[in-house]
Amino acid sequence: MNPIIETHGLEKRFGRMHALDGLDLSVAKGEVHGFLGPNGAGKSTTIRVLLGLAKATGGTATVFGRKPWEDAVAIHRRIAHVPGDVNLWPNLSGGEAIDLISRLRGGITDKSAYQQRKARLCEVFQFDPSKNGRTYSKGNRQKVALIAAFVTPAELYILDEPTSGLDPLMEAVFNQEVQRIARDGSTVLLSSHILSEVEQLCDRVSIIRSGRTVETGTLAELRHLTRTVVSFAGDSAPMITGAHDMTVANGRVRFTAASDTLAPVLSTLADLNVQGLVVAPPSLEELFLRHYGDEAAADKLEAMAS
Amino acid sequence: MTLLVLLKQRLRRDRWQLPIWILGVGALALVAAVGVAQTYGDAAERQSTILLSMANPAILLLRGLPNGSDLDAFVFFQIFTYLALCAGFMSTFLAVRHSRAEEETGRAELIGSTPASRTLPMVATVIHGVLANLAVGVLVALGFIGGGLGVTGSWVTGAATAAVGISFLGIGLLVSQFARSARGANGASAAILGVAFLLRGIGDALGTPSKDAQSMTSAWPSWLSPISWAQHTAAFSQNDLTPLLLNLALAVVCVVVVFTLQTQRDSGASLLAGRSARPDAPASLSGSFGLAWRLQWPVIVGWSLGGVACGLLAGGLSKVVAQLTTANPIIAQTLQALSPGQKDSLTSTTLWALFGFAGVLAAACAMQTVVRMRQEETTGTAETLLATPLSRLRWLIDYLWLGVVAIAIVLLAAAVASGLAVLGSGGHWSTVGESFQAAAGQIPAALVYLAVMALIFVLVPAITVPLGWSLLAIGLVLGMFGSLIGIPDWLKNVSPFAHTPTPSVDGTDWSGAILMVGVAIVAGILSVAFVRRRELRT
Repeated sequence: MNPIIETHGLEKRFGRMHALDGLDLSVAKGEVHGFLGPNGAGKSTTIRVLLGLAKATGGTATVFGRKPWEDAVAIHRRIAHVPGDVNLWPNLSGGEAIDLISRLRGGITDKSAYQQRKARLCEVFQFDPSKNGRTYSKGNRQKVALIAAFVTPAELYILDEPTSGLDPLMEAVFNQEVQRIARDGSTVLLSSHILSEVEQLCDRVSIIRSGRTVETGTLAELRHLTRTVVSFAGDSAPMITGAHDMTVANGRVRFTAASDTLAPVLSTLADLNVQGLVVAPPSLEELFLRHYGDEAAADKLEAMAS
Repeated sequence: MTLLVLLKQRLRRDRWQLPIWILGVGALALVAAVGVAQTYGDAAERQSTILLSMANPAILLLRGLPNGSDLDAFVFFQIFTYLALCAGFMSTFLAVRHSRAEEETGRAELIGSTPASRTLPMVATVIHGVLANLAVGVLVALGFIGGGLGVTGSWVTGAATAAVGISFLGIGLLVSQFARSARGANGASAAILGVAFLLRGIGDALGTPSKDAQSMTSAWPSWLSPISWAQHTAAFSQNDLTPLLLNLALAVVCVVVVFTLQTQRDSGASLLAGRSARPDAPASLSGSFGLAWRLQWPVIVGWSLGGVACGLLAGGLSKVVAQLTTANPIIAQTLQALSPGQKDSLTSTTLWALFGFAGVLAAACAMQTVVRMRQEETTGTAETLLATPLSRLRWLIDYLWLGVVAIAIVLLAAAVASGLAVLGSGGHWSTVGESFQAAAGQIPAALVYLAVMALIFVLVPAITVPLGWSLLAIGLVLGMFGSLIGIPDWLKNVSPFAHTPTPSVDGTDWSGAILMVGVAIVAGILSVAFVRRRELRT
């Protein structure tokens, strides 16, 4: 089956700056795809290219098999978008902004059903739609964009750091809404730099850095790349096959182990009858930090070279 | 110490903007002094021009109060109002930029949380504004001296210009305390400046000529206008600085009130309470035209009020012209000599001249729809719109339509007001008809500005606002002062306003108007063609 979003070697230059430098991305129908990267990695630029708001300077990109720059309007009929930086019209109320976007998206064919959906979303997001745009805080502006996106069903949701400015309670509401649309079979591209969010919601993840994809795969595949952290009480390091990076500090022994060698390692630990055992599950964080770390290391090298 | 930091920050932020204003005003003074001396070198010519002005209140309204036929005083009469207007605009923009706009964007909060006290940024803004106006005053004086005018009078003119600017600095700061947004504050300040210009104009137009018909005393409305106070220095003829005390007093009162309010209210809060809004959109807000109308109608109403003022003056003054010529025999003789048996044509000229101003208002109003589109792009709301099935093409076309509608509304407001004023003062139905004709005559130039502005927006979006307004200013200067400062015809003809039809003995020539409509259509089509290839640029 053809992917909903597909890019090959996507490039976008602004003058001499390469915002995107050969980005590959593939999002299959019905999946929630995490789009991870540090600030300035090119996430928003990719999204602007996918929406046809910016024109790629190289490579190819298709959305629903169409070219975004040429067929922007046809693509837009099937998607909902939450921009990274939500701005509202100062003299339109939040409710009016939601209605306007929904009407432009062609979402109000059945008025009473629409009103019901809007009322439900305003309630779950605890949003007051009768204030002027200029009086909303960042979190409330974000809610306007989220409600406008969720109120009208779409085949593809493109969400650019959608939970920035939301409190943890609202993040939970957001997660529920994403799970709801995913159950309905919609595809979601979720850009984020918050790992817990991506781990909770996403089937597959692409990690980008400096405009390039550095890892892509399912969460399980990516977890294989990371190691489980094991620690227990003790003052000396015993010999354990399969354990790496063993350290002893503050009365605890710490080491890491690859996912496929964990079972024999654990049976060794059982034989040693260790106390206070803590096994931290493999997290994306480690993988993510590894790529951040690369960047930090590269920066250091550059600094030393210059 | 902190004050110095804040002041430096203001100077740095305005390091391009203010020099352009200040040098621009100085250059206008210089060009006017040189140009008028060339065009009106002959004393007899100046005398007859003053006579003609007295007979034609439209000229008095647009220029000022004559104070004798000496060359120096004549230059002051011709140009001072505009120097004052420039200083006023510079000052209100400066005031809003460093007060309400800072609060609206939240930068004021950033400063307010540092050791700078609540009022210190305001002190810095006042000092900054006063310095800018002093610089304007010096440049105006130097411009006049450089143009060969008397030294004392030149400095008086400089002081008068600076005084008007300082008054409007106070007004701009005061308005900023009340306004909810920087846009609102700029609009209200500009409106007050416009009213000040008008009150001076009406007072001067209704003034009483002296016995020798070479100078005038203004009527009471002038005394309500800071521009008129400064004009009463009568530079070169009387060199009287006392009226400037009124300007300074006004500024002091405004600033005192501003400081009182500033210490009372919350940062970012407006003194006007926010209205509670409707939770659901009305049916009209369903597409980009509906949105554009919703965002722009207050602006259109504002410019239309200006149109109404022009119309009322145009219609009302036609009667005054007739009266003046019968009341003052010297003026009547001059007119008779200039255009034998053409009393009616003078009414016509007055009417069309004032409608020329309505045309400028219509052009500016239409340009603001394009400015709004650019603002939608920079603030990111355009991205929200264009991520829906709304095409860039449709978006532009809807705004262009709104621009056309805006032109129509402003000019219609002017024409209807003029018609009512004509009928109210017992004029002819034919003059009512001529009002509508004069209003229609302004459409082509306004369309050119709308379409050219759209083309700029599509091709070089980053400079839409400065380039657009500069073109309007250039068009105005060339069109209005072109003949005054004696520039060649081909240069004058660059201005769209130069092609606006004018009435003459052989009837009105509409060929220039048709050409302008053609230019507007071509520019419009080009902008529509290029917008398809354009990315969103913030």
